[in-house]
Amino acid sequence: MTIWWQRLRPEQIRELSLVVLIGVALLIFSSQIENFLTARTFNRIAASVAIVGMVAIGQTLVVLTRNIDLSVGSIVGFTAYFVGSQLAANNAMGAPAAVLLAIAVGGGMGLVNGVIVAYGRVPAIITTLGTLAIYRMLLINYANARTVTVDSLPAWVVELSRQTLFSIGDFAVRPLMVVTLAAVVIFQLVLIYTIFGRRLYAIGSNPEAARFAGLPAQRIVLTAFTLCGALAGLAGFLFLARFGTITAVAGQGIELESVAAVVVGGVNTFGGSGTVLGAFLGAFLIDLLGQGLLRWLGISEFWRDALLGLLILLAVASDAVILGWLRRLWQARTEVNHGN
Amino acid sequence: MQSRPVLEMREISRRFGSTQALDSVSLRLYPGEVHALLGENGAGKSTLIKIMTGVHQPDSGQILLDGRSVRIGSTLEAQRLGIAAIYQEPLMYPDLNVAENIFIAHANRGLWVNWERMYRDAEAILAQLDVRLDVRQPARGLSVAAQQTVEIARALSLQARVLIMDEPTAALSAHEVDQLFTIVQRLRDQGVAILFISHRLEEVFRIADHITVFRDGQLISSAPRSDVTPEQAIRDMAGRAIEQLFPRRNTVRDQVLVQVRDLGRTGVFSGISFDVHAGEVLGFAGLVGARRTDVGLALFGIAPADSGTVIIDGQEVRITTPAQAMRHGIAYVSEDRRGLGLSLPMSIAANITLSTLRRYLTPLGLVRRNAEIATAEAYRHRLSIRAPSVEVAVGQLSGGNQQKVMLSKWLNTRPRLLILDEPTRGIDVGAKAEVHQMIDDLAAEGIAIILISSDLPEVLAMSDRVLVMREGRFMGLFNRHEATQERILAAAMGQAATLDGKS
Amino acid sequence: MATNLRRLLRWEGFLLAILALVVIVNVSRAPAYLTLANQINLFQLSIEKIIVALVMAFVIINGEIDLSVASVMGLAACLTAVLFESGMPMPLAILIALLAGVCCGAFNGFWVAYVGLPSLAVTLAGMIGFRGVARILIEDRSIGGFPEWFTTLGQQPLIGPFPLSLVLFATLFALALIILQFSGVGRLVYVVGNNAAVARYSGIDTARLKMGIFIASGLIAAMAGVLLAARLGAVRGNTAEGFELDIITIVLLGGVSIFGGVGNLVGVGLAILVILNLRNGMSLLNVTGNVQTGVIGVLLILSVLLPNLVQMARERIQRRMAERKEVHIETETSVSS
Repeated sequence: MTIWWQRLRPEQIRELSLVVLIGVALLIFSSQIENFLTARTFNRIAASVAIVGMVAIGQTLVVLTRNIDLSVGSIVGFTAYFVGSQLAANNAMGAPAAVLLAIAVGGGMGLVNGVIVAYGRVPAIITTLGTLAIYRMLLINYANARTVTVDSLPAWVVELSRQTLFSIGDFAVRPLMVVTLAAVVIFQLVLIYTIFGRRLYAIGSNPEAARFAGLPAQRIVLTAFTLCGALAGLAGFLFLARFGTITAVAGQGIELESVAAVVVGGVNTFGGSGTVLGAFLGAFLIDLLGQGLLRWLGISEFWRDALLGLLILLAVASDAVILGWLRRLWQARTEVNHGN
Repeated sequence: MQSRPVLEMREISRRFGSTQALDSVSLRLYPGEVHALLGENGAGKSTLIKIMTGVHQPDSGQILLDGRSVRIGSTLEAQRLGIAAIYQEPLMYPDLNVAENIFIAHANRGLWVNWERMYRDAEAILAQLDVRLDVRQPARGLSVAAQQTVEIARALSLQARVLIMDEPTAALSAHEVDQLFTIVQRLRDQGVAILFISHRLEEVFRIADHITVFRDGQLISSAPRSDVTPEQAIRDMAGRAIEQLFPRRNTVRDQVLVQVRDLGRTGVFSGISFDVHAGEVLGFAGLVGARRTDVGLALFGIAPADSGTVIIDGQEVRITTPAQAMRHGIAYVSEDRRGLGLSLPMSIAANITLSTLRRYLTPLGLVRRNAEIATAEAYRHRLSIRAPSVEVAVGQLSGGNQQKVMLSKWLNTRPRLLILDEPTRGIDVGAKAEVHQMIDDLAAEGIAIILISSDLPEVLAMSDRVLVMREGRFMGLFNRHEATQERILAAAMGQAATLDGKS
Repeated sequence: MATNLRRLLRWEGFLLAILALVVIVNVSRAPAYLTLANQINLFQLSIEKIIVALVMAFVIINGEIDLSVASVMGLAACLTAVLFESGMPMPLAILIALLAGVCCGAFNGFWVAYVGLPSLAVTLAGMIGFRGVARILIEDRSIGGFPEWFTTLGQQPLIGPFPLSLVLFATLFALALIILQFSGVGRLVYVVGNNAAVARYSGIDTARLKMGIFIASGLIAAMAGVLLAARLGAVRGNTAEGFELDIITIVLLGGVSIFGGVGNLVGVGLAILVILNLRNGMSLLNVTGNVQTGVIGVLLILSVLLPNLVQMARERIQRRMAERKEVHIETETSVSS
């Protein structure tokens, strides 16, 4: 005897409300700001969301298991620089080789995180705070104060961020966005349709029960971190394609943006619930609000961070409120039972 | 029906420290039979279950499955052998839906989740149990009854042949119990062997084919239901040897210290009324799930009551925090020493002064170590806490000495009402006697004591009056001379004449 | 506790050994290393971080974390600069900056202690948000030109050869040591960090304690931010950015458990010395700042990983021995039915 909304999972509620929020924001902005709903706005949002969104997918996998990966910014920077310098040195390298290289390097770094967390039993926050610094150090050592420049890269790399695959009206669909959207779809499906995906939820949802049932928790956490690193590596390649010029500080701060996207996207920081789609929508909403509010209120872009902080807090607090509400609902039911 | 037993436990013994939890106990579970296991708290039922499910290993004895000797090394092995257990609080993944909760542990289902097949299979299993439950619903919103059904379905999906149900009805309504029993009967008809543990006698006699009674880790009686009467079962459970318990002095004074009227907390307990006199020990008896601890927590302000009144010294008081309770002279000594009572890495002295730290501070807020140690030494002497020094971490002490440290901590608040929750659980005989002596001494000093204990002989020996609760409700108040083990057990199990038989 | 104590002693012994090693290597490479001037200089370069590390030790031992400290430092520095620039007297500007720090701490504390949100998420929001407020104030400018007394206070010796910040650090260290190790409040910090439920069941107002610690964290971070402004002589939007990593690393390296309840200020003090000397030594070897941070990252992970590995090895050996002898190790379980 369930009404349809009772069957909605909390994450579906969150996805829906994100879509609604995005819709409302778009409506308000387009009515208040001249020329808001243009291809230019969309393209600008798409270009930055493509990178953060990709990282947020991996971050989602990790957060679902009650962990966190703060090293992704350094992984993005390292792979962007590393692949960039390889391409600069060897212009003949093809796209598949470059992408695979980025994924492999990122995946390797994620693997290291995963081994330390899952098998070394070091809390994820300590591990990835450490590797955040270590991977950045590797990058700076490797870069040795040089810069990968646009000119040194093969033409196809730079083209990736400008090329228009096809356009819908004025909206240009660019390869970077397509790659990220494809990854969102793939991992949304992985989370829903694979045993691995469901076990991520199981472990985050009730670690004790998972252990009791004999789920291979360590292996699953290791896989989550490795995938997170691999996706950050891929994001590093996108970063390279978007900016072309890569210095040793590339990707700094992306770890926070990805955590913000994940939290706003409704992934529970205590694990067990949330989706890749939600995290992507979270990244999109953050960027949209950033762009829109800046232009609407005429405030400078320096307001961005303050708004972001507020948004994260609101998201976490509303999660707590919703959870508390569900718990009370549940308690009310058992009370009725006691009453008989 | 008397074919070959699926599972046979042969002369199983298990010891924990100084306690013989199981003493050469034998039990046979037959396919298609509901075997009920009765016994007071501490009779050894849980230990037996834990051995069956691979949580503990027996010290001696044999486990036979289909006549072959097996070793159950872990819960996973038990599962593989077809032994499943369902507990009072189901192990659920709240974020996953019903079907997933049933199938998540299945290892050999390939890489992909075939949702349609999973939903079909889940529905088929639930249909087998004749249960209507939306398999797409997340587990978070499910009632305890529904969650138990999911656990039963999970066990069935793993082809369990032995199903252990530990107090499955404790949190269920009468209607839900009926539904559960329908399921149990269906399982029995399908040839599953069921070990059913409950404190509700009427349920046991309704569902069981065979009834076994444990007491103090020993098997007292085991017979087909038709050969047992409820009265007989209660006698078997209650006939515990009363150890050399301390003879209480009569220390009750005329002054009524605390009056509790119609106290309740929504969904937990209701309608609790009693008086406690200065110098009186008021025993709280009841079985698992009687909610006695919750009454204690309400009086102490941890989980405040939301109805009823508490009158102390003729003044009505409202208690919503432990600090308030302490100001009114109430102290609560928790049953969970390690989890709630003591800061294990801290020293004995630091634990004893924890609730009264303010008294040991200099004007600048520094701890006066000498004063603190002097106090701790005084208690060490008074309660004969055995430790090399009061600077030793309490985590290293034995259970009995930990209990004494906890008592010291609360005595140091100079309480007028002392609530003792299971003060002798898990401690050895010598320490037990010392705690009993202590209770008598404190009562003689005029402190009012509420003694919550599942050890029935202890309650009877120590209390001036005994209040009996069952599932959050008041079941009766017995004077010292009218309180017998049988009477109290009967009340605690809902068998008293004044009560309707249903819950 | 004895095992804990032994672990701690071992941990502090380990830190001491590393410290001795670092100092010996440094002295052998640069004879002037142990001079007072060099040692003061070495402290001076990281003085703000180690001041905040003192209060961070309280936060982590209490079982929480504060990721927002570096942003509070930046905010306080920017606020001081902006208010001064708008014509406010410097002392008043500093006072308001400190007040802002208190407000930031109270904001974090409110959500953690009274609403019950996880401190990791709350202070992450604070970390981004407070930095954002600083950016709003200062945008992309750099503000300098502070009064001479202010910069002198930040850079020049005050008492003998010691500058103000060093004197402040020494005072705060002594104060923190006394509070954490010898006062009633310090006792409660440990009890709550060990097991908040035990504290609650003992009638302790855990929420108020947590609130107080977060406020202290905000105040001290703001003070460190003002000191940083005085030392640098100019303030930008990214002042103190990323400092939280170093600060948390110092505390954890000092033997404080990320799960709370374990650690002390002697260990943290040793960890400060280790890190300062290590950084200085690496500078002597011409190792760049980022590599230094990386090395400290390695130290951070190892400080938790190594004890874990030892523990795991011990468990494995025990299990193997138990299996061989077929002795059932008794688990600590109370009997209940």
